Amino acid sequence: MNVLRAWIEERLGLSAVTLFLEKKEVPRHKHTFLYYTGSSILLFLGIQIVTGVLLAFYYQPTLAEANASVVRIMTEMPLGWLVRSVHSWSATFMIAIVFVHLLGIAFTKAYRKPREATWVTGVMLLGASLAFGFTGYLLPWDELSLAATKVGTNLPKAIPVFGAWLTQVMRAGEDVTGDTLSRFFIAHVSVLPLAILAFLGVHLFLVQRHGMSVPHEVERKGVKTPGLPFWPNFAFREAGVWLVLLGLLITVAVVAAPGIGPQADLMAPAPEGIKPEWYFLFMFQMLKLFPARVLGLNGELVAVLIMMAGMAALLLIPFIDNRPAERKGKIITGLAWAGLAYAVGMSIWSLL
Amino acid sequence: MNRRTRVVAAMGIFLLGSFVASGILEARVQEAPQAAVKPAAATAPGQETPAAPRPPRERMAVYVLLAWVWLSIAVLLGLLRMRIREADRVYLMGLGREAEKAPKGPGH
Repeated sequence: MNVLRAWIEERLGLSAVTLFLEKKEVPRHKHTFLYYTGSSILLFLGIQIVTGVLLAFYYQPTLAEANASVVRIMTEMPLGWLVRSVHSWSATFMIAIVFVHLLGIAFTKAYRKPREATWVTGVMLLGASLAFGFTGYLLPWDELSLAATKVGTNLPKAIPVFGAWLTQVMRAGEDVTGDTLSRFFIAHVSVLPLAILAFLGVHLFLVQRHGMSVPHEVERKGVKTPGLPFWPNFAFREAGVWLVLLGLLITVAVVAAPGIGPQADLMAPAPEGIKPEWYFLFMFQMLKLFPARVLGLNGELVAVLIMMAGMAALLLIPFIDNRPAERKGKIITGLAWAGLAYAVGMSIWSLL
Repeated sequence: MNRRTRVVAAMGIFLLGSFVASGILEARVQEAPQAAVKPAAATAPGQETPAAPRPPRERMAVYVLLAWVWLSIAVLLGLLRMRIREADRVYLMGLGREAEKAPKGPGH
């Protein structure tokens, strides 16, 4: 064992990494649990990659075969239904933890100087994760996924100047067709993974570069925060969290495996009860409730502009909230809570 | 034979036993392929395909697997708990820091 260790060390020089991890300290305070969310996202991303590759062996992204190949995966491949279920549920788990991670950072104001770039790459990663969900939703090519994709890709049309072009790029034409399916598949399995890995690389480098942030309220007290060595103390705790999450994922995947609807018909009218994935529900509900005309403007355009403003504010929050201790910072925190309550409320309303 | 070697040996025997047992089960399945690999019932067009596995054998196997997963998780959590306590004790005693501060002998 020692000979093997020495052989690896001589070639890779991993002791420098171990030394770095031993010296790295994780601050201990009442929000320490938030530090587990980052690595949990990595766990689910890894599961997504592995199960995604397994599904891609059998999935066929063509109009005639997409739905049938998913049915084959579920009914003929050994444990294919479980692989698909784990893929689907790990996406849900991952996005849920991405939201918890992001909200935790936002409300502890961990994005403050010098971690602005870390936040920006994190929001990019959120965008990439949502794009993964959006493109993946169409791939089973059933009635519901086709209708939801039609609604989703129609949304940018309301944006003046380049909106129609954006819709055309997403759909690979005027309407959602087999070309859209191919495009979504390529985005899902090659473009987005490359983007997510690039952003993740920068994000992780910045996290290591600046170390783990201490919540603003803890820092303001001026007391030195006790720490915990990352290796092995924190890493073992993290491993425990991973194990529990893994158990929960497998249990949910077995108990509540997703089915698949009948093959989509491009000529058929939209079915009743179209619903996007849960993380898009608040946008969906907002569009549904928005009046046709607002102050003489197209209602859909106003709704899309409000959403875009919200996204821009989210991306640029470290630069807007540059004095978190002052009144401005408190107002921003209040607005963030209001925005969160609005999103949760709208999502629940949409489900009722 | 120290404790560690005994644990490794026990785990090795357990793994080997599992492989042999699964091999016997697999051989039985191959002897009766028609019964084991029953094709899924065809779904009528326009009907939703349910996600649950069809053959009762596979369904049972999955629930057994689930039980094993949770059992393994419980055992691993127990082991991790011991390692965490040990690591925390070492840290609180400052052994790591003392080792860093210790004067280095000739040749270092």
